Amino acid sequence: MDAIWVAALNGLVVGASLALVAAGLALLFGVLDILNFAQGDFFMLGAYAVWLILGLGLNFWIGLAVGVVAVGVVGGLTLMLLLWPLRHRSHALMLLATLAISLILEQLATNVFGADSKPVAAPVSGRIPIGHTAYPVYYLLVVAAAAVILLGGYLFLRYAKYGIWLRAVAQNHRMAGLLGVPVVRVYALAFVAGSGLAAVAGSLLAPLTSVYPTLGLDINLDAFVVVIAGGLGNFRGAAVIALALGIVESLGSTWIQGEAVRILVFGLVIVLLIVRAQRGRGAVRV
Amino acid sequence: MLELVDLHAFYGRSHIVQGVSMRVAAGDGVGLVGHNGVGKTTTLRSIMADGPRTEGTITFKGADLTGVPTGARVRRGLGMVPDEEAVFPRMSVEENIRIGALLRGAKMADQALDLAYELFPVLAERRAQPAGTLSGGQQKMLALARGLALRPDLVLVDEPSEGLMPINVELISEALRRAVKAGTGVLVVDSSFDLLRTVCDRVCVMQRGLLTGEYPMAGFAGPDQLVATYLGER
Repeated sequence: MDAIWVAALNGLVVGASLALVAAGLALLFGVLDILNFAQGDFFMLGAYAVWLILGLGLNFWIGLAVGVVAVGVVGGLTLMLLLWPLRHRSHALMLLATLAISLILEQLATNVFGADSKPVAAPVSGRIPIGHTAYPVYYLLVVAAAAVILLGGYLFLRYAKYGIWLRAVAQNHRMAGLLGVPVVRVYALAFVAGSGLAAVAGSLLAPLTSVYPTLGLDINLDAFVVVIAGGLGNFRGAAVIALALGIVESLGSTWIQGEAVRILVFGLVIVLLIVRAQRGRGAVRV
Repeated sequence: MLELVDLHAFYGRSHIVQGVSMRVAAGDGVGLVGHNGVGKTTTLRSIMADGPRTEGTITFKGADLTGVPTGARVRRGLGMVPDEEAVFPRMSVEENIRIGALLRGAKMADQALDLAYELFPVLAERRAQPAGTLSGGQQKMLALARGLALRPDLVLVDEPSEGLMPINVELISEALRRAVKAGTGVLVVDSSFDLLRTVCDRVCVMQRGLLTGEYPMAGFAGPDQLVATYLGER
């Protein structure tokens, strides 16, 4: 019984981090209509930020803050600068551009930090008993932090001025502009928030995964699955599906082979895609 | 308040508006009429910097608008209610009205809601409903209510009566008439004689990208006479 609880909690930890990455991806898709292949790399850069700051002898949480600001603001705005001139061109071109950014960031990380895996110590080392198992407190902290950030994001989109404008621009940017909404600023916000969410997840998960240049690859694939299954552009849907995916994969792996679980999950996504193809695309929803 | 001098507008190589000059003052109700495709909507969009490339001069409240982006034009007191896709379908009626008003603070947003609901009480009844689930007529009312609730100095309205039942045309005409009476300049593109008669003091006729005449609305006895004018039969 303990194994099931632990597997469920592990799933929740992975799902919570995945939810952050996927929510950022959904946000960006909602306003710009593109899937950002570099999202996983922002996750990776967030993890490296923590590793670097810890290497300087500073606090983990400072590393997290630096990672979010640096990756969110610098990374997000750089991504925007690169994609902005392409916004009226074909979507395939924008997708290729994000893929190029992803490859460049991975190669840069390899050249600068090396290809080896860097361990990161968790800032909280305590354990709490779950049945007969001592479960790391930090894992639960990751879930709590992700929940707070996602709830904050939901409330922001629902009630804050810029949240309302973000949804408006996502649904009809021309009309939003005609009402005086600062459309370019709203786009910039989507880029910064989308990249920042990935960086938070990367920083939080660094002690669980260690840090290496291709760290973002797996989570990127999972985030794509989540965003597609949750409804492209659907912030809340992405968060819910991410949690569900994490738990199902983790629990499923206790009974059947992990690879078989993934095949089942991908099969379900194909079914969802067929259903959603008949409904059309969504803008940012909360 | 608004003055167009030799306005030209282009979509790519297509020269749509070919030298329009006109004025709309505060409290003026002006109709822009003509066949489909003569450049009426493009004229409105040019005034808002909403798409077409333009040449010529657009002056608003004494300031040249050349190079001024759409958002800044809105902040200077211009507003536009487009014909199509004017509402945010997955946002509630209330959110639709608040979007633009939020630019001027929460208090203005509340005032905008009050004014919009006063103009069209049906919107108050449906305030929590997603705008995309409203009927076509209600969506037109929502777009117009939002446009007027922002209290622009001059509002451009594109085909507000298109596809509406006569009762809704009356409601929309009355809302525009009130705006004109309150001192708002209104430049409206529409073909409904009843709406034009209620809202406008004069109409400008457009043919093939050019203004071919300006007539007092009171001079038209009925819709046939108006149509004959813009068909060039009068």
